[in-house]
Amino acid sequence: MLRAASIAEAAGIPSVSIIGSGFLRQAELITRGLGMPLPIAEYPGVPMVDSRETFSHKVEHNLLPAIIAGLARKDVKPVKQASGEPAPGSVVFEGTLDQVQQHFHDRLWSDGLPVIPPTQQRVDAFLGCTDRDPAEVIAVLPQESRAASILSIAVNGVMAGCRPEYMPLLIAIVEVMAEPDFRIEDAGSTPSIELLVIVSGPIIGDLDLNSGAGVMKIGRQANSSIGRFVRLYLRNICGYRIPPGDGDKGSIGFTFNVALAENESWARDIGWPTFGEEMGFAAGDSVVTMQSVVSFTSPVYSSGADALSHARMFVEGMGPAFTHWCYTGLKRGLWNPLIVLGPSIARVIASEWTKDELRHYLWQHMTLPASKMEYLALQAGGEPLDFREAVREGYLPPEYIASDDPQRQLRIIVRPEDIGIVVAGDPGRNQSRGYMPNHIQGPRTSRRIRLPADWADILRRAKQT
Amino acid sequence: MQDHEEPGYRVLWPLARIEVKSANETRGLPDLSGKTVAELWDQIFRGDIAYPQLREHLKQRYPGIRFVEHTQFGNIHGPRQREILEGLPDKLRAAGVDAVICGIGA
Repeated sequence: MLRAASIAEAAGIPSVSIIGSGFLRQAELITRGLGMPLPIAEYPGVPMVDSRETFSHKVEHNLLPAIIAGLARKDVKPVKQASGEPAPGSVVFEGTLDQVQQHFHDRLWSDGLPVIPPTQQRVDAFLGCTDRDPAEVIAVLPQESRAASILSIAVNGVMAGCRPEYMPLLIAIVEVMAEPDFRIEDAGSTPSIELLVIVSGPIIGDLDLNSGAGVMKIGRQANSSIGRFVRLYLRNICGYRIPPGDGDKGSIGFTFNVALAENESWARDIGWPTFGEEMGFAAGDSVVTMQSVVSFTSPVYSSGADALSHARMFVEGMGPAFTHWCYTGLKRGLWNPLIVLGPSIARVIASEWTKDELRHYLWQHMTLPASKMEYLALQAGGEPLDFREAVREGYLPPEYIASDDPQRQLRIIVRPEDIGIVVAGDPGRNQSRGYMPNHIQGPRTSRRIRLPADWADILRRAKQT
Repeated sequence: MQDHEEPGYRVLWPLARIEVKSANETRGLPDLSGKTVAELWDQIFRGDIAYPQLREHLKQRYPGIRFVEHTQFGNIHGPRQREILEGLPDKLRAAGVDAVICGIGA
């Protein structure tokens, strides 16, 4: 929202932005990143929990005078840019392991867990696993407008506990973050987005990623440290820090996701395309796909030797977990739920159905009454969910307004192809799980991992250390 | 408690250079009489209630003030955000807008 105000200002038109009290510090940080003073009209408190009378009172007695003052440029805070920051690649501290941890913790450079000290030697080892120039800048990332350089990826990769040979994959992660449609500028929003990295292709084996039992648990170095890297990078380069930092407004939140790898040999064995192939890549391509996740379902156990028995359980078990948030996707026409499908279940389903047939079934049967969707939208953020407008805008197909019956059942997923399916987890059990995204914020986005010419040598050396 | 044999670590800065071009403040409008004010809205947090009320209050104070309502711009934080923001300067100029109220962040 402040970005819209900054565009008006850049066009020479004065603006004032309405911000709730709890968001003033984030607004200050964004304003610094935008590089211009932006007047704020503060709404005291939380607009969604005030009565109509209180809300109107605050509009008149708080917002109105603040808007008038803001447009008149009274008491506008100047932008204070960080000054005297170190040069990239410079040594900023010397001390023991404990002292390094404290130094980083005090400056909000860690995630609260111990970090591996990013020494020159360690960082050089990472840089030795890519042919990219350390000074190369992939993009300037919101919200602090820091340069996402190859060097910054190496430093944070070291800190996260990654191994040097993960470097090409870490670069691909940041390339996805830098995609404009990925909207990394929204990664500090209140639902608390945790980005999920899905790894496809030969690099799964190269880096020893877990795709089996406990695939989404901390425990395997590659899965865990790559997931941690994402969170550290969001903190240190984008500026998404929970208090005492300012940029991450996740209201409650949860911890970072470990990287997810598919059991591709199993997927091939049952005759299904891999997730990477479905994202448009060749079987030999190593690929990173990322998407936002705001929650996951309970473990969904399903039984039976036929596809339908399992698909019905997915509707029963995952559907309710998805429904309360589905309006966010319907209002915006994009929502990419992901299902991590237990291998034994995938084998049963694949004996009768293609992946598309499974998707179609879930799309068709996960529904909710229209009035319930409208109610949920109003409860969360006072968002009017106007199906007619969404159809007019092309976000939804016409069947959403086929009748005016408030009890009409509407699909919670806009298109079958929006459902991602990854075969992973314990092949010795019958469990699956669903992951819920945050609509257009962090839509499923892939990037082929660019491996250096000496990749085979890098891996050979890595196995010796 | 420290082991005196423990090695020291010389560590690199984990952040990166800030690349911001600072811009000067736009001149303010001490009097909104006769001015055109645009409403930008992210379609959340009761802007549908706040904007009509603000319109009325401002009209009472500033004769001749007029508004370009948020419906003219679309959702500034929705699926078409990029396209809407790219076209915003031209649209504001074409509508003769003198000031912008942007909401609502909460």
